[in-house]
Amino acid sequence: MGLFELLKAELKAVLSNPVILLTVFGGVIFYSFLYPLPYSQQTPQEQEITVINLDNSQLSRQLERMVDATTQVKIVQRAHSIAQAKEQFLNGDVRGILLIPKHFNRDLLLGKSPTLSYSGDASYFLVYGTIVEGLAKAGGTLAAQATVSRLVIDGVPLELAAEQFAQVKLNMKPTFNPSSGYLNYVVPAVFVLILQQTLIMGVGVLGGSEKSNSGYWNRYSTFSIVAVRCLVFVGIYYLLALYYFGFSFEFYGVNKLASPLVMLALLAPFLLSSTFIGILLGAILPRRELVTFVVLISSMPLIFSAGFIWPLESVPQPMVWLSNLFPCIPAIQSFLMVNQMGAEFSQILTQWKLLWLQTFGWGILAYFAYQHVQKRSNKSAS
Amino acid sequence: MMSFTKLSQWQVLKHDRWLVSSLTWIPVLLALSIWWIFSQGIARDLPIGVLDLQQSALSRQLIREFDATPTLQVSHTFTDINTAKNAFISNDIYAYMVIPKNFDRDIYIANAPQVTVFYNSQYILVGKLINSAVLQAHGTFNAQIATLKQLSKGNSNQLAALSKAVGIRTQITPLFNKNSNYAQFLVSAIVPALWQISIVVSTILFLTANYRFYGLKKMAANNTLKKLIGISAFYTPFFIIQGLAFLIWFYYLLNWPMEGSLLPLFFAQLVTVVACMVMGALFFFLTLDPARAMSFAGAFSAPSFAFMGVTFPVTDMNPIAEFWRALLPISHYIEAQISQVSYGASAWQTMSSFLPSMLGYLLPFILTLLLIKKQLRKMEDNNGAI
Repeated sequence: MGLFELLKAELKAVLSNPVILLTVFGGVIFYSFLYPLPYSQQTPQEQEITVINLDNSQLSRQLERMVDATTQVKIVQRAHSIAQAKEQFLNGDVRGILLIPKHFNRDLLLGKSPTLSYSGDASYFLVYGTIVEGLAKAGGTLAAQATVSRLVIDGVPLELAAEQFAQVKLNMKPTFNPSSGYLNYVVPAVFVLILQQTLIMGVGVLGGSEKSNSGYWNRYSTFSIVAVRCLVFVGIYYLLALYYFGFSFEFYGVNKLASPLVMLALLAPFLLSSTFIGILLGAILPRRELVTFVVLISSMPLIFSAGFIWPLESVPQPMVWLSNLFPCIPAIQSFLMVNQMGAEFSQILTQWKLLWLQTFGWGILAYFAYQHVQKRSNKSAS
Repeated sequence: MMSFTKLSQWQVLKHDRWLVSSLTWIPVLLALSIWWIFSQGIARDLPIGVLDLQQSALSRQLIREFDATPTLQVSHTFTDINTAKNAFISNDIYAYMVIPKNFDRDIYIANAPQVTVFYNSQYILVGKLINSAVLQAHGTFNAQIATLKQLSKGNSNQLAALSKAVGIRTQITPLFNKNSNYAQFLVSAIVPALWQISIVVSTILFLTANYRFYGLKKMAANNTLKKLIGISAFYTPFFIIQGLAFLIWFYYLLNWPMEGSLLPLFFAQLVTVVACMVMGALFFFLTLDPARAMSFAGAFSAPSFAFMGVTFPVTDMNPIAEFWRALLPISHYIEAQISQVSYGASAWQTMSSFLPSMLGYLLPFILTLLLIKKQLRKMEDNNGAI
């Protein structure tokens, strides 16, 4: 039988294996809708807070209105004492507290810089960050207004005072993800991991399924089997990657800055090395469900060491080295760079070379592991 | 007679070293690796760059102010915007600041020069950290210059000059996580999520092992409920010990703050373990094929961290996401954990919100029993056909 026959047999084995269909096609499509689900609103808004206004001046009420006007926070309760605010908090009515001190108005006019206290629930980081951001914004605006009005009292013309209140103006430019949207942050990275994990599972389950009986995989050389398997799975995954990076990103409005050619060039070593890991796992693990098991439990350590959640500078160096053995790590980094940040191909060469190095290393391991399995089953057959 | 022989689980364990691993060292290794990644706790010295078009004492003072924050480290200085931009895109730096020409002159003539900071918000956490560090450094610098200006007028002392320079002071108190430690925040949620995955997949593994060792008839026919409980009861202590171990590790060995008590959490964990085992059993008896069951378990439990609501708040999720979240045992557990650990709620408060939501797992439990009946019938039909 020729290679074409082998290709046909391999395709048939993939498309008639319900576990592979479930994992590869079912998994990829299911995750493409499930994973972005929690983040569809992109940024947390209108976190509910309570106010303790001990000043009750016109200015303090103005501050309250300014706080309420921010998109980040919303005043839903008021309290007369810290104890009451705490109770509201523990009941789950509010997630943050703003305290306007006594004599806030007077102290501000006297130039004695009163202290505004605010607090948020730091058990939930994004909630906390949002509340603090909103309150700081309102407080900052009021402080600027106060400075300007004091300058005006000092006899500086209003026009000039408005210019002068800050010594140096700061222009913060969030770049690559201007809205700081959570979906834009999670989806481009996690989708790369999903591609790798489902690919490894699919290839591994195929290898595991072959072990229990004999078939075409025993009649060809290791090289032809591995090559054809790569061809089939990399081909399928090019299509699935097209679905992710094309349709899904379009659907969720995620940046697509990379040229198709760069994407294709990056996908090649990424998909190849993942396929090799699948062949290796399918060959060395005694039963096919264990492939899924190993892949499943490795997902969380992999995603948190990829550097997009927690900066690589803060990850222990041995962990960084270890994680660089797996294709999704350089792949996540380089896909984010070219597709989200608009890097040139020359800027991701390090990651690209690493991916090819992995392809080479995992390829050798996969080849020998598969050869070993073939020999063993031939021996038991004879 | 057969049905009276006890289904010895030690025999099963002896023949399946993967099952033994998944019950013992694998979850420990996973939890430790997560902790190791975040072991630094707080992100420090994130590299940023500076494009200083002024090159004066004042501009260098501003740069020092940035460098002095614990979060930032000025590691690159640029002379043109293109190299800065390229270093930014290549991830060498997380942000860069442009100090304009005539920076000094504009400050002296009170024409407020504008400093621009480009920061990477693709990495949201890093972006947020940089944003607040820059705001802080900028505020300090402004206050210094304003104080200096007041003093140079000669009609003021240091303290009065400072309070004129700073309009409103703010005091920000993070409640329940006092030093804003990311290790505490993330690890105490990721490890329970891993624990859930570990219980669900181990359940599939031990049911598979029993199925292989004893066969469906012996393990589930006649007295189905009693036999299943018998098998599960053997493995429950493993999961309970894992759960207790991470609680003790976090709140006794690492000494993270703990406001409540472990007793209600222990009970919550017991219920969570049962719920996870029910889900694992449901996946297994759906097809009796461990590979398919694993795929279902993966789809079900792998994204659970995203749905827990610890990073992205539940209140901002849409109804479908909230529905999926409600299906995951661990999202109910984590609420109980936070209410004890952070808020120090009473055991009654925690349980009265936790237990009713866990009652829902009776449904998959009944479904599992029905599935077993169906699988047994199917098996007998097949036998009859032969």
